[in-house]
Amino acid sequence: MLKYLKELCLMDGVSSFEDNVRDYIINELSPVVDDMRIDALGNLIVFKKGAKRVKGGLMLAAHMDEVGFIVRKIEDDGYIRFSAVGGIDARVVLGRRVFIGKDMVPGVTGLKAIHLVSAEEVKRVPKIKEMYIDIAAPDKASAEKKVSLGDKIVFDSDYLEFGEDKVKAKALDDRVGCAVMMNLAKQDLPCDVTFVFTCQEEVGCRGAFGAAFSVNPAYALVLEGTTSADISNVPAEKKVTRLGAGPVIGCMDGSTIYDEGLFRMTAALADEAGIAWQIKQYIAGGTDASAIQRTREGVRVANISVPVRYLHSASTVACGKDIKDTLKLAQLFVRAIAEGKAGK
Amino acid sequence: MDILKTLNTLNACFGPSGREDEVREAIKKLAKPFADEMKTDAMGNLYVRKKGNGAKVMFSAHMDSIGVIATVVEDEGFIRFGRVGGISPATLLSSTVRFANGTRGVVQKNEDAKLDKLTLQEMYIDIGVANKEEALKHVQPGDMAVYDAPSFLTPGGMIVSPYLDDRICCVAQLMALEKLKKTDNDVWFVFTVQEEVGLRGAKTAGYIVDPDYFVVCDVTWSDDTPKAEHFASSVTGKGAAIKIMDGSVIAHPQVVKLLNDIAKQKKIKVQQDVLKGGGTDAGAIHVSRAGVPSSGVSVPIRYCHYAQEMAALSDVEDTAKLLAAFAENKF
Amino acid sequence: MDLKKELQRFCKLSGPSAFEAPVVKAAVELMAPLTDEAYVDKFGNAIGVRRCGKKNAKKLLFDAHIDEIGMIVSGYDDDGFLLFTSIGGVDRRMLPGREVTILTDPPMFGIVACLPPHVLSREEMDRSIPMKDLRIDAGLTSKEKAEKLIPVGTPVSFRNGDYGGFYMDNNLFCGKSMDDRACFLILVRTLELLKGRELDCDLYIIGSCREEVALGARTAAFAIAPDACVAVDVTHAATADNKGEDSVLGGGPEIGIGPNCTRWMTERMKAICEARRIPMQLSVMPGASGTNGWVFQIAREGIATQVLSLPERYMHTPVEIVSLKDMEYTAELLAEFALEPGWGVSKC
Repeated sequence: MLKYLKELCLMDGVSSFEDNVRDYIINELSPVVDDMRIDALGNLIVFKKGAKRVKGGLMLAAHMDEVGFIVRKIEDDGYIRFSAVGGIDARVVLGRRVFIGKDMVPGVTGLKAIHLVSAEEVKRVPKIKEMYIDIAAPDKASAEKKVSLGDKIVFDSDYLEFGEDKVKAKALDDRVGCAVMMNLAKQDLPCDVTFVFTCQEEVGCRGAFGAAFSVNPAYALVLEGTTSADISNVPAEKKVTRLGAGPVIGCMDGSTIYDEGLFRMTAALADEAGIAWQIKQYIAGGTDASAIQRTREGVRVANISVPVRYLHSASTVACGKDIKDTLKLAQLFVRAIAEGKAGK
Repeated sequence: MDILKTLNTLNACFGPSGREDEVREAIKKLAKPFADEMKTDAMGNLYVRKKGNGAKVMFSAHMDSIGVIATVVEDEGFIRFGRVGGISPATLLSSTVRFANGTRGVVQKNEDAKLDKLTLQEMYIDIGVANKEEALKHVQPGDMAVYDAPSFLTPGGMIVSPYLDDRICCVAQLMALEKLKKTDNDVWFVFTVQEEVGLRGAKTAGYIVDPDYFVVCDVTWSDDTPKAEHFASSVTGKGAAIKIMDGSVIAHPQVVKLLNDIAKQKKIKVQQDVLKGGGTDAGAIHVSRAGVPSSGVSVPIRYCHYAQEMAALSDVEDTAKLLAAFAENKF
Repeated sequence: MDLKKELQRFCKLSGPSAFEAPVVKAAVELMAPLTDEAYVDKFGNAIGVRRCGKKNAKKLLFDAHIDEIGMIVSGYDDDGFLLFTSIGGVDRRMLPGREVTILTDPPMFGIVACLPPHVLSREEMDRSIPMKDLRIDAGLTSKEKAEKLIPVGTPVSFRNGDYGGFYMDNNLFCGKSMDDRACFLILVRTLELLKGRELDCDLYIIGSCREEVALGARTAAFAIAPDACVAVDVTHAATADNKGEDSVLGGGPEIGIGPNCTRWMTERMKAICEARRIPMQLSVMPGASGTNGWVFQIAREGIATQVLSLPERYMHTPVEIVSLKDMEYTAELLAEFALEPGWGVSKC
């Protein structure tokens, strides 16, 4: 699997609490890049000189944040009420360990035992606002000693490789994108590149607005993790993307129609290099491109994503080859831009 | 032993749960040439034993079939009934049933009863007589009836018949008894009663025999019909189904392994059987006394508990072979 | 015994009903130094016996089951995803996205696959998915591969990361299979408390199998023919969404009252708690207790039975929580009971 991926996934970085991830990237990249700054929202903007300048500039983007939860209320009996930060399916929240706050206080999302629910109740999944976290605090005062309103809450999930070339961890969306950018940043580049590690993508691409405005590029490539619903009993037209079928080249999603020229260019690069690729077969979701494309006078945006199963859950899954090919394709993209192949 | 002929002999007998005498007598006749000892217990279970000093190995197939029991004879001669075992409106509607004395009738529903919400209370048996007085000459409340349907072979080597559950396995046990070579094991082929109403015969049979190993021989569902919902993992034609689990028992892994090893050694075609529901004598026997390591060898059937069930002849052969091989095994 | 270490160890072991062998082995090993004999019986239960050496001694049996709920592989889809069914009472609401261990040799990692929000309607997202529509993802790409590596009938257990269970504040432990291995460890602790003390009866400790599917301990009761049985199992403690429960964590063992609990045993246990100031909680059970106690009572000629319960939150999830204080209280109660059961005449 790609270098940095494991460390990145094990770190916590719920939207607006990306500090740990940002510090790690700064540490790893500072010896090999030319400039680094953190903006008002917390985006990490990294500039690396390459063999030449590109007219207007090239920006690459991946988001540092992951979906998680936030402490909404501490009850009198010590239980914690919480809300989702980013879009999380209520069905994957129950019966698992989470960590709260800076001190990573462990708690579990409890659930009334099956013996006590009616046949009707078992058909329903409780809404997140009906759920609670148990940190074994006997009352509010004890709970308040350990956690506070507004504390971040992150899934507990280890990193492991399994099956045929698969990896499981939390937050593959979008630590895969971050890992691809970090690997690129370590290389000698054919042109100047600004790498933007954005924050708060999961709550509405919030970081990308300001970052795109300040970087003001001509071209932007967004590296993401995208939904794969290639489970066997899902009808073909709902599978969206498939693991093992290669990087997903952005054509259209729920928030952006990607630049047609860049789309065709990227596809041609993949074909020439013998890299299998796919498009999203279901128009939904969005990336930081939605914030970048319509900035200032507009930016030509492209997107390459790694297909990820069980997106926005504690246990996301991707295929090693897809990740490696995404890095390869991103490299080819940068070179093509450097060589002026973007056209109009 | 000719499968169809033997099955027809057993099917000609009347034998819903609690009324298995005829079936038992027929099996006794067929088993006699091969048995060292035969006995019957208070409930009516039949024990066919091949004596030995080695491990005590027990098999069982149940003799009873599902059926209905007449409850009320109405003024117009129509007969209301209750169920005996897992018989349902869907399986009964428009079928023909037969009482012990040969009287036959058609099962139908009140005309105003809705098909999608049909209950047994809205159904009746029509034996085609003018009134209650006439009806009572042929059927009394308390009389039971079973499906009355033919059995036949298909061009594809399948057998179609009522109550393949579990008469086809009674046949398989008889075939195994016939095939059985000399062994030191103390082998008990038991033909149980009242399985369909709650594994009742098996409870006492387990207590009486108290074996070292128990292998039930009952049918299992087959997952090979249109839009099958994967209630079962077995299919017709793929061999004897080694029981991993049904709704009443999870087989002991070491017995499952033994059956698989023996099948491999003797080149018997088998498949692994995980059934999400249902129940067999193993449910009662595996927790008998101090417990019995148990599994099963099953014949996969389509349309379980309908008037016409279907199985592959080859599966019956494979089942009989595996039962015999297990009975001979040196434990 | 290092209780904290053993809680972790037993929590991590995989043993769904009928496939408990590794847990049974560990149970026998744990009991061996504290008993005269420790063995696996015909059915698969772990048994430990402490004999008192006295003539015509009565027999007392304490039972806790060591099997857990789980799943079993029942087939494959063409892409290599696994079909499965449940072993015991698995709550389907907590299956999507659940990590599992597929118990092949060596074990394999799997996840119960779930559909992402993007492709679901509002109504679909509110509903829990029936088990027959769920699949296990073992990261394989073809049916052939799956068939080869994971045969039909392979058992599956829940996975809690790589840690099994963990300690929380106020002496609480959270992990899978606390139902009912926490209670088995209480029984081992009871043996420790009885070490070097004189008994007037033979004490049988059972780490029983198949409770979740067949109340399997009835076979041990038949084989041993005790004069009295205590079924030690977990019970529901109050939680945020269920405040009306009889018991709370930290409130001590819960003594059952009702037809399934022979009155002289109930009274004796209450008296012990009062005399020794052991906190206790009471639970009125009008009918079946849902434990091995239900089958003990009708074994053989009928046996005097008591149900004693350890309060637990989130039963049948991988995050069951028990109190170590409650465990110690329960062991103390059982030890005192074993020393002096106060044999009464069964009036049930």
